[in-house]
Order: sequence, then C-alpha cells, then structure tokens
Amino acid sequence: MQEERLAIHLRERPYQLKEAKNDGIKIIGYFPGNYVPEELIYASGAIPLCLINGGDSQPVEIALSVVPQVICPFARAQVGERLLGKNPYYSIIGMLVAPITCQHLKKVAEVWEYNGDLEIFKLGIPHQHNNDFELEYFTDRLRALKDRLQVFTGTEITDEKLSEAIELYNKMRELLRKISLLRRVSPPLLSGLDFVKLNHASFYADPAFMVDFLDSVYHELKDKQQVTKADTPRILLIGPNIGYGDYKIPELVEEAGGDIVIEEICEGIRYYWNQIESKGDLLESLARGYLVDRVPCAFMRYSTGKRLDFALKLIKDCGVSGVIWYELMCCETYDAESYFFSQKMGERNIPMLILESDYSTANTGQLKTRIEAFIEILSGVME
Amino acid sequence: MIELLELCGYDEQEIESELPRVEKAFNKLGITVDDIERGKQRLSKYYDVELKGVRKALRLILRELVDALLVRDEGMKNVIYGFMAPGFDLLSSALVTKSRDVFSIHHSWAFQIFVGCVFGKMVPILEEAERKWLKAGMVAHCANLKTLVGPLTLGLYPKPDLLVTTGLLCETSPKTVDLFHEFYDIPVWYVDACQDRTSGEYPEPSERVAISAAKSLKRLAERIQEVVGFEITDDMLLEVQDAKGKMGEAFGRIRDLIANSAPLPLSPAHENIWMCLNVLALSIDGITEATEAVDTLYEELQERVAKGLGVVEKEAPRVLATLPMGQTDPRLEHLACEVGIAIVATDRNLEVSIKEIPEDPYMRFGIGMQVGAMHVPPAMRIPLLIEGCKKLNIDGVLDRFHVGCRAVAGDALLIENAIKKELGIPVMLLEWENFDPRVYKHEEYKKRMEIFKMMMIANRHS
Repeated sequence: MQEERLAIHLRERPYQLKEAKNDGIKIIGYFPGNYVPEELIYASGAIPLCLINGGDSQPVEIALSVVPQVICPFARAQVGERLLGKNPYYSIIGMLVAPITCQHLKKVAEVWEYNGDLEIFKLGIPHQHNNDFELEYFTDRLRALKDRLQVFTGTEITDEKLSEAIELYNKMRELLRKISLLRRVSPPLLSGLDFVKLNHASFYADPAFMVDFLDSVYHELKDKQQVTKADTPRILLIGPNIGYGDYKIPELVEEAGGDIVIEEICEGIRYYWNQIESKGDLLESLARGYLVDRVPCAFMRYSTGKRLDFALKLIKDCGVSGVIWYELMCCETYDAESYFFSQKMGERNIPMLILESDYSTANTGQLKTRIEAFIEILSGVME
Repeated sequence: MIELLELCGYDEQEIESELPRVEKAFNKLGITVDDIERGKQRLSKYYDVELKGVRKALRLILRELVDALLVRDEGMKNVIYGFMAPGFDLLSSALVTKSRDVFSIHHSWAFQIFVGCVFGKMVPILEEAERKWLKAGMVAHCANLKTLVGPLTLGLYPKPDLLVTTGLLCETSPKTVDLFHEFYDIPVWYVDACQDRTSGEYPEPSERVAISAAKSLKRLAERIQEVVGFEITDDMLLEVQDAKGKMGEAFGRIRDLIANSAPLPLSPAHENIWMCLNVLALSIDGITEATEAVDTLYEELQERVAKGLGVVEKEAPRVLATLPMGQTDPRLEHLACEVGIAIVATDRNLEVSIKEIPEDPYMRFGIGMQVGAMHVPPAMRIPLLIEGCKKLNIDGVLDRFHVGCRAVAGDALLIENAIKKELGIPVMLLEWENFDPRVYKHEEYKKRMEIFKMMMIANRHS
C-alpha cells in the first residue's frame, strides 16, 4: 500500500514539475554528496532536485564522447543524462548548483558550464575545516548562493522561510534516521535495498509529501512482524556512491542471503545522522551542519581516521558481521582508502569484500559469485 | 661515475669532494655500475649535455637529490618535504636560505629526473607503490603519487618531520598524504583553496579564492615555524619571490626563443629540467645559480639559432602540446624530434595575464595559482589554448592527457573538438601517464606521430 503511494507520486512527479515550471516555479538541480543545503533552494520557492541517476550503462557510454573513461561512471552518467535528454529531471532544471567536491563531479560542472546552456553555481566546499576561515568561506559561499537564488527566483529568502525549510528537512532526516535504524534489530525490519530506494525517492519527491510518506512508513514498519531469519549475515555497505538505479549490489547481497543493515555512502544517500539548527544565524548553522558536524567524505583532508572510527561505530551499533566496500571504477580516493580499511578491518578480524563497478552488466556473474562466496564465509563465521 | 658527474656539470674539484656522498646516495637508490653506464648513454642521447647550461642545471638537481637522500645520515634536525605543493617551494626556499639546520625540499621532480629519465629505473619504484594503496589497473592512480609512495615506503627517503601537499587541483595527493599519516605516523599538512570560480569571474583571478589560498599558505607557514623554531617573515618570502621572478624571466626568454625559432633549437625533453629547477625549493643562492644556468643556456641557444642549427628540420610542423613532458621518461619528446615534429610550447606556457601583482607574498601566491592554463576550467583553458595556437602559428596540437589527473584529463576531448572546430588543425589525442615509463609504446607512438606529421603538412598546404 505504502509502496504504491510512493510509486504513484514518483510516476506523476515529472508532470507535476512540468506544470510547476509552466506556472513560473523554478526547478533547480544539484549534485549529491550532501554538501548543497536543499533548504536554501526550497526557501527560495524553487523546487530542489538532486541529480543522482546512475547504474545504467547507456548514459555512461554516451558521455565518452565528451569526457574520458578515467572520469568515474557516476560523473559520466550525469554528463550522459544531459546529453541524452531523455530523463525529465535532467532536462527540466533551470539552474544547477554544483558542489565542488571531488574532481569527477567538478569536471561534470565544468563540462556543463562549458556547454553554456544552463546557469551554473559552483559551490566551493572547503576540503578541510580545521581553520576558522574555512567555515567562514563556506558560510560566505552559502550567502552568495542565497543571493543568486533570490535573483534567479525573484523571491526573497527570509529567515522565516529558511527556518521552515530547515525544519521540514530536519523532519525528513529524522524520519530517515529512524527508519534506517529499524534495521538495527535482528532480523532488520526493512531491507537495505528498500531503504536505499526510499532514500533515493526523497531526492526527487516533493519534500512535504516525502515527510508525510516517511512518517507513515515508519509507523507501519515499527509495528511490523519480523519475517526473515535472524541469523543472516549483517552487512555494512561503504562506498563513494550509489546512484538512483544502481541496485545491482544490494540485490545480489539479498539474493545471496545477506542483509545490508547500514550504509556509509558519500553520494546518493541523504545524510541523516545530524540535524540542522533552525534558530540563530541560519546560514552559519547550515554551513556548520553541512560541512563540520558530519562524517567527512573520503576527499576531505584528515578524513581517513575519522571515517574508520565512524565505520567501526556503525559495525558495533548495528551488529555488523562483514563489510562490503563498493566503489566505482576510477574513483581514486576511495580506492586508496579501501586499502587502509581492508588492513584495519583485517586487524580486527572483520571480513571485508571490495567490489568495483562501471555500471556495465558484463561483470554481474563475477560479482554474484564473489558476493555469494563472501556471504557464505560470513555465515560460516556466524555458525 | 666520474664521467657521469662530468656530464652533470660537476668540475674536477667538486667531483673529488662530492664523489663519496654521491656514491653513498646512489647506493641507497640501488644504482649499479650498469645503471651508471646506462645513465651516461641516456644523458647523451636525450639531453644536450654538450650545452653548458644543461649541465649546470643537471648539477643543481643532482646536488639536491643527493642532499635529500643523505639528509638524516648527515645529522639534519628538521626535514620537511613538499609534494605536489605549489606555494610550499616559496616557504621552503625561505627556510633553507635562512637556516642550515633545516632541510626542506620539494624533491620528487629531482628523483624523477635521475631515477626515471637518466637511469631508467622508475618501474620498481612504481611497483612498490602499487603493492601499497596505489594499485595498478583501470583505477588509473596518478603515478606521480607512486613516485612519492614508492621511495618513502622503501625507505629511500628518510621520514620527514612534516609532509606537505596541496589540494589545489586534486584530492588524491592529500589522500595519499593522509594515509602516510595513518600508516607511518608522519605529521602532515595541507594547503587548500576552493576551485569554485564560475564563468562570470573569468579570466580575472578571483580575489575570494586568492584570499583563501593565501590564508591557507599562511597557516602552513605558522605550522612550519613550530617545526623549525624561527619565524618566516614576509621579507624573507619577498626576497625569494624576487629571486624566483628573475629566474622566471630567464625561463621566459628561453621559452620565447624556442617558441619563435626555426629550426627548433632544443628538444622538449629539457622542459622537465626547467620545471624541476622552478619547484625544487632551492635557497636564494641556489636560485641565483639556477638563473645563471638558464642564462648560460639562453646564450648557447641564441648561438644555435644564429647558426640556423636545431634538433629538427626548419620546416618541421609546429606543435603545441598539452601538459608538461614525460617526467620520468624523455622518450616521447625525443621521438617527436626524431619523427620531425617541433613541439615548440606546452600549455604550461599559456597564462592569463595579471593586471596587478599584490605586495603581500601570500596573496601573490593566491593570485598566481589561478592563472596557468592547467589551473583553469575548460571554459577558460580552451580559449587560452586557441589563442596560444594562433599566436604561435601552430600546425597541430598534441592533446596528451595524464590519465592519473582527472582535473586535466577531463578536458582532453573538449580540447580536441574545440581545436578542430575553431582552428581546423590536426589534433593527436594521446592518453598517457607522464610519470610512468611503462606506458611508452615506441612503435605505436612512432606510427601515430608520423601520421600526425603528415596530416599537419597536408593541412598546411591545403
């Protein structure tokens, strides 16, 4: 029943957006990574859309006419979607907010900028925040973004509107967190794949609808009878990215009898652990919430140790029996970090499997075999 | 060994005094008698070592490399390394000028020139890094990083008291430095600035970005002061910048001479040497010596030009190459000359002109780091390239992209399309790794360059 409600909403969403656009409402895209405060876009009266499509090889291949193969598949997918022009979310936006995170997504922003057919705002993300001036820099860039949004939409972003937007998104984050943690029990109350899809839906759906929907889901799930076996291996999924549609790994894990009980994903999963302060200097609280008070992505300076600590905490809190490290081809920072994590997990006797994908279907058989073997090993360890 | 040192510009007296140190340093690197022989052959084949300016420059680079390898053995207290760290060389030069108790160097380039270009022994170094966190294969890790990870994990370089890098164009160097900290407990530091200029801000350098970079470099200076125990003053930095400015002018004269002479008077393989001198973090005396070496070479090249001598025939097609040359292997540039292609410039030569040079040394860095063709996005880099091609009367572009560097590799296809469309000249797209000699495929490159040359000649006559 709940699934049907969301499916209908998402099916109708492109038409809703088209109507909104015809009515003069601006639609603003942004790239994932959780460094763009959607609240600002929402408070401007525009509709924020996170562009997170991935998993399909066609746009990735099309993009090779513009960028080389060493640009990661997710970044190429963004280039390809725009070139193909078939995906309504990529065609309907009137402006893009591009967070300057890794070189791959930065390159997408630069390619789009070079093509010159879309207004682009590059949001500088300081790659460290040990010094006071870095937080100031980010706050200043959010101020610049606010100004640009006001000009673009013709709407003043008042503190009141921004505070309301923060509260709305806080509710969404809180509900996603509560739903995610329903997987902490054994067996989990929803599958990893279902959670990822819910999280993805939150990027395209109307935020007010999504909050209402997540609330219903949460209440339905928390009273749900546990249906799966309690002794299935519990997996922490770590990686740079899960695109909307990139479900091969979670599907294969479930088919093999594993449960993904928690994710630590940089892009493609809404960050939901912390809330944003909705009072006081709102731009500063957005800057602090999005830059400082969070687990850093792998591209951030001094991040490796902090990320390991967080992963170990998740492993403990969620009763994880093994780690699947899922990285995209040519993502150098995560690939380098995978070596560190595998060493550190090995020291703690935590099994870890490293998988790579370029979104092609060619390696599905190999992935399936490796995942099955890994789940079997974990099952053996649990016995 | 003595012959090798002579080829590298050491005089008799210096050879006598330095030979034990050089031997000790080479022993650390595992350089054998056979390697020395090969080194002599490669020096003579790929570099114009009959030119005094080239020998002088090689001497400075080798001297720094030997110092770097022996630094702990010789009791140096404070050792600081910079890696892929523009701005660090400025602070570093100031440090080594002020104190003999500090050894601070941006040394990968010296290592790459001697271990890679001269001795041809880079592969085991790269393989060592690949056994660590920079694996080989599709992921295409930057091999420049491998030339840091390999020597440090093999213990060729001593462990530094501080390891510095920047994230100005990538996040992979900071990640590797972070892993050095985690695995080997090496204190690390990062200089950063956001690469968030938007098209409306081009071509002017962004003051916002400059201020942020300047603050970040200033924090590094403060951190270094904690390590070395003395202050780095603005005057010290300005003195370095003035000296480097003179060296830059000397380089500029050579670049202009090369770009505007036919036949091409010097193989592009040498550009590596000039870049190394520029980033090596020499003391002010060292910078002065380097400037003298460049000036000497300039005079020698002027003489060549006056006599109509060159490394290719006079009518050779004129090529602008993207990116610097092979930094661990001179064979591609040498091959270009053999085939009869004149690489007269690289896009490192192309810069946005600055209206006003700031007085503050940190702001000079902040502005300076935004003007090079490789430091701007395609919306600015491509017009710079097109303008450069027109100005230098270029027949074709060698659009080589370093696969390990997403910042520049991502532009390659856009560059190819734009040059063909705007200028109608041939473009040779070359996917390569300018720090990894294993990518060099002689027959394939030769055939492609011959065809490229034919296309340029045909286009010239059409």
